[in-house]
Amino acid sequence: MIDLQFSHVSKKYRLPTDGDRPKRWYSRALRRKSGQMWALKNVSFSVNEGEALGIVGHNGAGKTTIMKLISGITTPTSGEISIRGRLAALVEVSSGFHPELTGIENIYLHGAMLGMRRSEIRKKIESIIEFSGVGRYIEVPVKRYSSGMYVRLGFAIAAHLDPDILLLDEVLAVGDAAFQAKCLERIGELRKSGRTIVFISHDLAAVYRLCDRAILLSHGAVLSDGAPRQVIDEYQQMTFAGQGDSADDETDSNKPARCTGIDFSAPESALGIRTGYPMVARLSYTASQPVPDAVFRVSIYWPSGYLCSQLTTESTKGGYQIEPGSGVIEFQCPDLPVVAGLYRVDLAIESKGLEVDFRQRCATLRVEPGKIAYGDFLIENTWKNTESRDAIRENSVSG
Amino acid sequence: MPLANGDKDVATIQTRAAVTADSPTSEPVEPPSLDQPYVAASQDMPRPVKIIRPPSFSIRTVFTGLRTLVQYSDLLYTLSMFRLSVRYKQSALGWTWAALQPIALMGIYTMIFTRVAHVSTSGVPYPVFVFSGLLPWIFFSSTISNAVHGLVMYPNLLTKMYFPREIIPLSYMVASLTDFCIASVIMAGLMLHYNVPLTWHALYAVPIVVVLAGFAAAIALFFSALQVRFRDVGLAMPFLLQVWMFTVPVVYSLQSVPLKYRGLYLLDPISGLIEGFRVSVINGATPDLGSIALCSLLVLLSAPLAYAYFKSSEATMADVI
Repeated sequence: MIDLQFSHVSKKYRLPTDGDRPKRWYSRALRRKSGQMWALKNVSFSVNEGEALGIVGHNGAGKTTIMKLISGITTPTSGEISIRGRLAALVEVSSGFHPELTGIENIYLHGAMLGMRRSEIRKKIESIIEFSGVGRYIEVPVKRYSSGMYVRLGFAIAAHLDPDILLLDEVLAVGDAAFQAKCLERIGELRKSGRTIVFISHDLAAVYRLCDRAILLSHGAVLSDGAPRQVIDEYQQMTFAGQGDSADDETDSNKPARCTGIDFSAPESALGIRTGYPMVARLSYTASQPVPDAVFRVSIYWPSGYLCSQLTTESTKGGYQIEPGSGVIEFQCPDLPVVAGLYRVDLAIESKGLEVDFRQRCATLRVEPGKIAYGDFLIENTWKNTESRDAIRENSVSG
Repeated sequence: MPLANGDKDVATIQTRAAVTADSPTSEPVEPPSLDQPYVAASQDMPRPVKIIRPPSFSIRTVFTGLRTLVQYSDLLYTLSMFRLSVRYKQSALGWTWAALQPIALMGIYTMIFTRVAHVSTSGVPYPVFVFSGLLPWIFFSSTISNAVHGLVMYPNLLTKMYFPREIIPLSYMVASLTDFCIASVIMAGLMLHYNVPLTWHALYAVPIVVVLAGFAAAIALFFSALQVRFRDVGLAMPFLLQVWMFTVPVVYSLQSVPLKYRGLYLLDPISGLIEGFRVSVINGATPDLGSIALCSLLVLLSAPLAYAYFKSSEATMADVI
């Protein structure tokens, strides 16, 4: 069963040419061609019952517009959207709060705005208060709340919704780590119980973890639709294509040394770079003058932006002496421990601890699935049963 | 390994227990078990299908709109209640304010129209007379003046969440209606004090107030939607309402209007309704039923139109606010 369907949906926004000013009575006569912006152009997709769809794309790609269209905040300029079942949008968890009202009053108000009946809220109120962890402050006007309490109460209400389709927009961007974990856990629970989920986020890791399928939006059109890993890879490639530093810059000519390229390869393998197999990284550089005490760095980043690891020539024995001319630094990695995915790469040359050349996000490293690995890293290991005498039979039983 | 197997068994038993006996005793922090009712619901009840299309101005939106409004009726109730409680929060006098405004106005007008100028009231003490006009008028005007600003007051709400937007202006009407009821008690006290008899004719006031509420709702819906696009509405409204008040028989009686203008007066349905309210409550007479019937007809025509306009405008409200 299809729970949510977009059929050739387009959405046009009018851009007021003169700021926020509304049309004056005389403006029709003076009217210049007012600006238009197509936030969505002929977008079609559908979400099946029980499916979790992630929507990724750059700012302005149309993600929020899709959200607003589904939740009914605005309507399409053309096309049709059909929604099967009760829908709840978890947008900004506390936008419906009234500062003067107490926690309890706000639970009723916000719950009603989310489409809950009073009787339903009355049944769940104990549980909501408990989940929020606001405690005795529940009788206090929410204007006296800390921002954390505000957010927790907002999510506690939303978490008690019982929708068929759940819309999530960047909800995980707020709150501390513990709260985010709680959100994710709850969303995972809802997913397991067969809810249809539409998840809009910049957090690619969360999309990967939560969704069965993803679509990539760019400039109001669906660019790709498929498995999250594949779509996220495509999105990242698109991102890198726009962001990569150009190899030759005007300012580069006066640098004593600069990186000219990076090349990742898998020796003796036709399958590409794979988890648990050898990899070779070749960093090429040119130098116009000698660079003393130099260090080369190839930084590899997770999709989330955190440093995953670094290949470096740094050592306790002091740096490397770069002579004028060009060269290639070859890093040999006997078995690459990182799991499959697309990584971003920064290159850097330092001299005496000072930066000589730095190229941010100038390349990508694609790792294909190799040895079986879960989580972030492959931990090389061997195993055996040390207690049982008949180790081989035991293994076959538990496996 | 035996240990792992044992663990697995325990785990399956636990989940089975959670499914069969729905006792949420294990973890009170978790919301009540949602798997079970959900599965049942999805099997038994066909889910409603909602189709979203580009907006259009049509009377059909009135019916679909009303159906959604019924689903959200709890929100209308909750919001109206909180309008009242928020309004009087952190105020020392609290609910007394609902009575204070008409009483203060009554005082001022009594002062002016008994000491400075004179107005014929056909024998009724002026305070009672003017209060009987102020009561419906304040209900009508405060509904409109509050509702017009209602939508633009919380732009965050309009761009972030969906609920039928008419609930906002309508909640102001419900709040004003509550104030009206409080002031009615004052009215009864005044009549008692001035020995103005209350008769069964006062019951005519009920349908009159219903028609007046219909008018107030139609105007509030239309102008609050317009205000989202043109803030001029909100700027003009206080002035407009002030002028309007003097064109309807609130502080003077319809009888004191020269006969040749009286027809013109009754073109404004509010004049007819307020005069009808006054006649039935303080004069103990039957109001002009013809004019009230005409007003009802006008409401029946204008309210659906205003609502249809509101619904067609609601579709893009979040884009222009």
